[in-house]
Amino acid sequence: MTANHTELLSALVDGELQGQELDKALQLLNNNELTREQLQRYQFASDVLHGNTHDNQRIDLSASVAQALDKEPVYSDKTKENVKASVIVLPKQFWQQAAGLAMAASIGALAVVGVVSQPQNQLVPIRTVANEVPVETTTVATTGNRWTVGEAEVADRLNTYLVDHNEYAGASDVFSYARVVSYEAGQ
Amino acid sequence: MDQELVQRVQAGDKKAFDLLVLKYQQRIVHVITGFVHDPVEALDVAQEAFIKAYRAIPNFRGDSAFYTWLYRIAINTAKNYLTAAARRPPTMDVDAADATNYYDAPELKEFETPESNIMRNELEQAIHQAIEDLPEDTATAIKLREFEGMSYEEISQVMDCPIGTVRSRIFRAREAIDARVNEIMNQGEQQ
Repeated sequence: MTANHTELLSALVDGELQGQELDKALQLLNNNELTREQLQRYQFASDVLHGNTHDNQRIDLSASVAQALDKEPVYSDKTKENVKASVIVLPKQFWQQAAGLAMAASIGALAVVGVVSQPQNQLVPIRTVANEVPVETTTVATTGNRWTVGEAEVADRLNTYLVDHNEYAGASDVFSYARVVSYEAGQ
Repeated sequence: MDQELVQRVQAGDKKAFDLLVLKYQQRIVHVITGFVHDPVEALDVAQEAFIKAYRAIPNFRGDSAFYTWLYRIAINTAKNYLTAAARRPPTMDVDAADATNYYDAPELKEFETPESNIMRNELEQAIHQAIEDLPEDTATAIKLREFEGMSYEEISQVMDCPIGTVRSRIFRAREAIDARVNEIMNQGEQQ
């Protein structure tokens, strides 16, 4: 065993070999018992440093494991594909039933959301708002999502409507007018 | 490298699994002795764990580190062994996420004997002394590797030298440590 070989084993202990060097190391380990012993000694010293040894004995299970694995199949990429395929394949009937259930569940959820959201928001018809606010007294401007008007009472009422509108918009997924205003003001 | 070895096993290279056994056998036996105190039984359980790992390896996708995955298999095999032997598994459990730090668990150390503790201390001290006796660059390289867990590339950046130099420094350090460990082990065998 040359110094290059033992250096290779040292790098192997550190997990620093890949590709051709890993091939070479594996070949050495398979063909040379001294190489195996050397690797195990390096590994043992590293394990001692990390407290990974039992009774500080050098253990070698590799021979008995290899013997037991003689009876086990040799895997191939095809085996891997077969394992994957057997997990994924499901009967067509399963997918039909699953699709039906999903559709029924989404319709049910839509109905529940509609029923729950409606009574919570006591909407004031826009026409009523228009009737209650005297046109001549309002000088309306928008800055962000606040109203600026001359009279405090009218400003309060408008702001109440705006808050109601925001709440309704939030609950029913309608895009809030106030947010549009705010967005535009930000521009 | 573990991932590459796993892929080789998955592609039909049984010998690659042999290297994984060589690499992790000490750790796995150590973990299992935390559950199965009898050393001979612990070796049997460890062997069974490796065989189970080989059988399950086609399904290993690399979502976790190979050792974490192997560690889980080893713990489950040990627990199943104790259940089958109608013995109560220890209440102590180690989370798989802490697998790499399990050797610090005090619960595992309580199973060690005073003799094994003395031997362990002697070996550890010998290794530390061997490292201290090395030339500074060599000692720094092995310390960064073993105690800081740095890769060769990281060490080369820290020490401002080529990766090949790091590799040969670590190799020289390992040779020195190996010589010292062998000395101790041979003394132990003679006694």
